[in-house]
Amino acid sequence: MMFAKLGRGAVRSSSSESGLAYLLLAPVVILVGGLILVPVFGTLVLSFFRDVTFLPPVKFIGLANYRRLLSDPDFWNSTFVTVMFAVVAVFFETVLGLFYALVINEKFRLRGVMRAVVLIPWAIPTIVSAKIWQLMYNFNYGLLNYLLVHLHLSSHPVNWLGTPLSAFTSIVVSDVWKTAPFMAILFLAGLQSIPSALYEAAMVDGASMFQRFWNITLPMLRPIIVIALVFRTIDSLRIFDLIYVLTGGGPAGSTTSVSIYGFKLYILGDFGYGSTVSVFTFVLILIFTIVYLKVGRFQEGMKR
Amino acid sequence: MREQKKKRILVWIGVVVIAFICLSPFVWMLVVSFAERPDFLASEKIPYVFTLQNYKQIIGTRDLHVMDYFKNSLVVAFVVTVAAVVIASFAGYAVSRMRFKGKMAIILGVLAVSMFPQISIVGYLFKLMTAIRWINTYRALIFPYIAWVMPISLWILVSYFMQLPTDLDEAAMVDGANRIQALIKVILPLSAPGIFSTSLLVFISAFNEFMFALMLTTDYHARTIPVGIALFEGLHGQIPWGQMMASSAIASIPLVILTLIFQRYIVQGLTAGALKE
Repeated sequence: MMFAKLGRGAVRSSSSESGLAYLLLAPVVILVGGLILVPVFGTLVLSFFRDVTFLPPVKFIGLANYRRLLSDPDFWNSTFVTVMFAVVAVFFETVLGLFYALVINEKFRLRGVMRAVVLIPWAIPTIVSAKIWQLMYNFNYGLLNYLLVHLHLSSHPVNWLGTPLSAFTSIVVSDVWKTAPFMAILFLAGLQSIPSALYEAAMVDGASMFQRFWNITLPMLRPIIVIALVFRTIDSLRIFDLIYVLTGGGPAGSTTSVSIYGFKLYILGDFGYGSTVSVFTFVLILIFTIVYLKVGRFQEGMKR
Repeated sequence: MREQKKKRILVWIGVVVIAFICLSPFVWMLVVSFAERPDFLASEKIPYVFTLQNYKQIIGTRDLHVMDYFKNSLVVAFVVTVAAVVIASFAGYAVSRMRFKGKMAIILGVLAVSMFPQISIVGYLFKLMTAIRWINTYRALIFPYIAWVMPISLWILVSYFMQLPTDLDEAAMVDGANRIQALIKVILPLSAPGIFSTSLLVFISAFNEFMFALMLTTDYHARTIPVGIALFEGLHGQIPWGQMMASSAIASIPLVILTLIFQRYIVQGLTAGALKE
C-alpha cells in the first residue's frame, strides 16, 4: 500500500521542518475543513433543529426530525430506489465495463482512438448526457421509439419516462452508458498487469479462450473489481444530476433518490428535515463502504 | 491458428459495438443540433433540413445567455484547476517527503471526505454563501470546488511524488537548495505527467459539476453551462431541443477535444489513485 511507504519519505526531520510541512498543508486543511467538514458538521447540527425558511424561528427539537424520518414513507421509498439503483446500475456497469476493457486491451489498429472514444461518455457533463437521453426517450419524436416502431420491435411507442418501471430502467441505462467507461479504464489497467506468462502456460495446456478468461483473467482482476465496485457504489448512492434532468424523481416518486429527496426539501425551504435526510445519505454510503471493504478483505483472506 | 482468427473477429465485432454504444447518443446530439425542426422523426411529413440556425441563435441571442454560461464554466474550471494543482502540489510534497505529527490523520481525513455526498454539504453551503453575500458569484463556486477536488488531486500527485527517489531532494539540498526550491526545481518538473493528469481530471470535474452550481448561482452572472442547459427554457415556451442540443455540443467541445488529445493522461490519472500500490 501507498500508506506504508509514506512514513519513510523523510529526508531529515527537525522542528522547523514540521513547521514548514504544516504551512504547506495549511491551505488544504483550511479549505477541506472549512468548506466540507464544517458544512457536514453543520448539516448534522441542523438535523436537530426545526429550520423552515418560511416559518421562523429556528428551534431546537432534538430527535423529532429523526422520528419523522423513520415514519416517512417517501423517505423509505427514496432509500429503496437509491439502493436498488446502486445495485442494478453498478452490476451492469461492471459487466459492460469489463467488456469494453477486454476489447480495448487487445492489439488492433486505432486502439488509441478507441480508448478515447470509450472515454467520451465519461468526459461530457452528466447534464448534457441526461438531456441527450431525455430527447432519445421522447415519446413522440425520440430516437428509441422511432427505431422500436420502424424496426417492428414493438407495435406502439413506449412511454419511457412515464411509468415507474420504465423510468427506473431508463435512468439505469443512461447511467450505465455514462459510467461504464470509468470501470473499463480501471479494468484495463488491471488486465495490463496480468503477466502474459500465465496465458502462455494456459495455452500450452490447451485452455480455451473462455477457460482462460474464467480461470486467469477474472481471478486476477478480482482486487481491482472490488476497488471499482467501492468507487462506483459510493458514487451511485449519491445519484442526483441524471435524475434531476430525466424525471425530476417521478413518476410518483419511483425514481426519487435520497439526494433528490433531500434537495427537494431544501428547495421547499425545510433545511432542518432536509439536513436529516442528507445525514442519512451519508450514513447509507458509509454502511455500503464498510460492508464492501469487509467483504473485500474477507475474500483476500480466503485466497491464502 | 483457428482460435487466433476467431479472436480477431470477436475483437472487431467488439470494437464496432463499443463505438456504436459510446458514440451514437453523441452523434444524435449533433444531428438534432443541426436540424431545422427537432421533431422530424414524429411524422414523414416533416423533412430533416440541415441548418446552422440553432448555433447562430444561441451564439447570437444575448438573452439566452448560453455563451455567458459557457464563459462562466471555463473561467471557474480554469481557476479551480490552477489553484487546486498548486495547493495539492505543496500538500502532496509535504505528505510524501516530510516527517511531521498528525500526517496520517490529515491523509485519512482528506480521503474520507471523498465519501461525503454533495447533498450533505450543499444546504449548509447555501446558508453560508447567503450569509456572506457570495450567492451568484464565481467565488461561491471556486472555493467549494477546490475543496471538493482536493482528495483526488492529492491522491494522484502523492502517488507520483512517491515514485521519485528521495535521493533527488537530498542531492538538491546538499547543493544548497531549500525544501521549496527542491519541490519547484526538481520534483515538479519530474512529475509533469502527473500534474497534467491531475489538471485534466480537476478541470473536467469542475466544468461538469452541477449540484453546487444549481444551488449557489441564480443567473448568467455566475451560472455555469450544465445548470444553464438543465434549466434551458428558450424564449417562446416549447422545449427548444435544437438550441439545447447545440448548447450541449458547445459545452462538450472542450471536453471532447481534451479527451481525444490527452486520452493517455486521463487514463493515467484515473488509474493512479486506484491502482498504485
